[in-house]
Amino acid sequence: MSTNLKSRAPAAGTPSPRKMLPRLVTGQEIVLIGIISVLWILLGFLTPAFLTPGSILPLLVAVAPIALIGVGMTFVIITAGIDVSVGAMLMVSAVITAQTMVATGISLVPALLLSIAVGALLGLVNGFLVAYGKIHAIIITFGTANIFLFIGLRLFGSSTVNGVPGTFDVFGRGAAGRTLGIPHSFAITLVVVAVAWWYLRHAASGRHLFAIGGNANAARLAGINVKPLVLMTYVITGALVGLAACFVIAQGTSTLDQSVGVGRELSVIAAVVIGGTSILGGRGSVLGTLLGAILVQTVTSGVTQLGWPSQLSDLFVGAAIIAAVGTDIVRERSRRKS
Amino acid sequence: MTTTALKQPDTAPQRKESLGYRAVRMLLTQRIALLGLLTVAVLAVMVSLNSAGALSGSYDADYLAAALISAVPLAMLGLAELMVILSGRGGIDLSVGAIVSLCGIVFGYSYGVWNLGLFLSILITAAAGALCGALNGFLVAYIGFPPLIATLATFYAFKSLALIISGQKPISTVQIQDFFSAAQSVEIPLIGQNLPNIPLGIFTFLIPTAALVWVLLNRTTFGRRLFALGTNDVAAAWAGVDTRSNRMTAYVISGLISGLVAIVTVAQFASARPDAGVSGNGMALPAITIAVLGGVAITGGIGRVSGILLATLLVVWLNAGILLAFAGNEGTQFQLLALGLLLIGASLLNNLTRKKFGVLN
Repeated sequence: MSTNLKSRAPAAGTPSPRKMLPRLVTGQEIVLIGIISVLWILLGFLTPAFLTPGSILPLLVAVAPIALIGVGMTFVIITAGIDVSVGAMLMVSAVITAQTMVATGISLVPALLLSIAVGALLGLVNGFLVAYGKIHAIIITFGTANIFLFIGLRLFGSSTVNGVPGTFDVFGRGAAGRTLGIPHSFAITLVVVAVAWWYLRHAASGRHLFAIGGNANAARLAGINVKPLVLMTYVITGALVGLAACFVIAQGTSTLDQSVGVGRELSVIAAVVIGGTSILGGRGSVLGTLLGAILVQTVTSGVTQLGWPSQLSDLFVGAAIIAAVGTDIVRERSRRKS
Repeated sequence: MTTTALKQPDTAPQRKESLGYRAVRMLLTQRIALLGLLTVAVLAVMVSLNSAGALSGSYDADYLAAALISAVPLAMLGLAELMVILSGRGGIDLSVGAIVSLCGIVFGYSYGVWNLGLFLSILITAAAGALCGALNGFLVAYIGFPPLIATLATFYAFKSLALIISGQKPISTVQIQDFFSAAQSVEIPLIGQNLPNIPLGIFTFLIPTAALVWVLLNRTTFGRRLFALGTNDVAAAWAGVDTRSNRMTAYVISGLISGLVAIVTVAQFASARPDAGVSGNGMALPAITIAVLGGVAITGGIGRVSGILLATLLVVWLNAGILLAFAGNEGTQFQLLALGLLLIGASLLNNLTRKKFGVLN
């Protein structure tokens, strides 16, 4: 919220720009790191196999696409928007890329660029409608989600994409997807998170995103070019969805089916809000989003490894959202009182 | 009927208005008029396609009446969304589909397994729905969760509970299979000979629910308070409205309606499926789409029952036509496209109207 920025503004007479920066790590992130550590230690005791590379590495690989899309979603939500079309965008990017790979056998870099370009193009549609159509983002993206889903399903025809070549194996779960034991997909995600973290914290336009989310009208009057910046957040989200689509293809088998991407938007939004980003805009962090994605994936794979029914994991994800956002609300309230 | 008339069009009195200008203004400011016109247009296009032989089946009155079966859950959930979106402060309910799944299982057990009788089973199911809604309402109104987050969390929880409780198996005992009769089409008494048979659910579920919601919104103090707090939360609080309990009530009613939809869905499938409300795209997204298409302002405080009902008719009859115009899978795919274009078109139009005429009814 905008009060956050105001309360950190230096008092009159102490014009030190350094003071205006938010803290390196927010309270929500410390809480999340604590919860994740406790969960990992607990799971390590309960199922000795959990804290082994054979279990942690697939977990990190599975976190990568959610966290990547989550970075874009964090940008969007900080500007008080939302994008519920990322699942459908993922489907379109994945099916176009997979079909092109099957048909022409293009190599890694062109395939990667193609996927990112498709995602960015779809994001451009969202961004244009939201920024210049002046309609609430949730309505626009509900609409485009339907349209993207239509495009994706039409491309699939009525079958799956078979015989997807192993071009993306460098992002996969296998040995080809690791260097020195670190999964490439997770390493790329870390780099993206780091760049986004720096951008949101130190770049002028990054700070502008928070101002837009706090009060778009005030931001405009303060001379911020609101519309292009909002447009940009949706394009970035689309591009990251395109990159995530490559990871998803890599993690799957050689067959891509029509359920790819379905429901992803909800797990991404869950990761973002667990990470402490306010759905009302003006406050949020990509580091929190990464931690949120790790927490969600830990719960999911923890439930499976404990031998509990896998449907139970959704219940815990729901509870995690309530707990994470609830503590955030309580903390924010006490901060405002003091 | 709505509570806002923020800006009167100031150019209107000076200019001599032509008939065409007035017609355009009515179409744009009166969502009912626009939806009515669109529905007529859809019917006209489909009927002419039908007589040209371009459809794979006959698009006649019988077909249209039979298509109404899918209007029952859609319109009811649209009404549920109307209640919560009206309540303002970003009101929305993503969990309706999950509540339908969970309550379907509750109904499956109480009617199909424990044999509690129809009346008691319906009561229990509706109460379960209201309880789910109460959880949403408590989180939103009393704790202060943003509605999108609270209902996203409960969506996960209810969806998971439905699968766990049922052991992922649908309940389809003999009683539940016989309950399919509740979804059949019936002849309307007295005048029915000349009319096609109408699905029973329209009379037993949709019309009572719509009437109830209409009375609640337009003829009770609760309704007026809901419009007040949806329009301006702070002003309503200063005017002495208990914003918390009234907002919570909106979510309870949304849950209650979802519980009733669960019963309709069980009757339709002749089986209580644990994923009835969340499979594929789920039930929440189409319901929200119907609400927005029906002229409900996502910011709260504006919306009416007739808009929801007309928007449902439009979508259902359009979808029914699309199914005949395209073969097999293609039909359901083009339905997605139509829904997306309608939603974006309608909201762009809302915007244009606000800019040009100031008000939207």
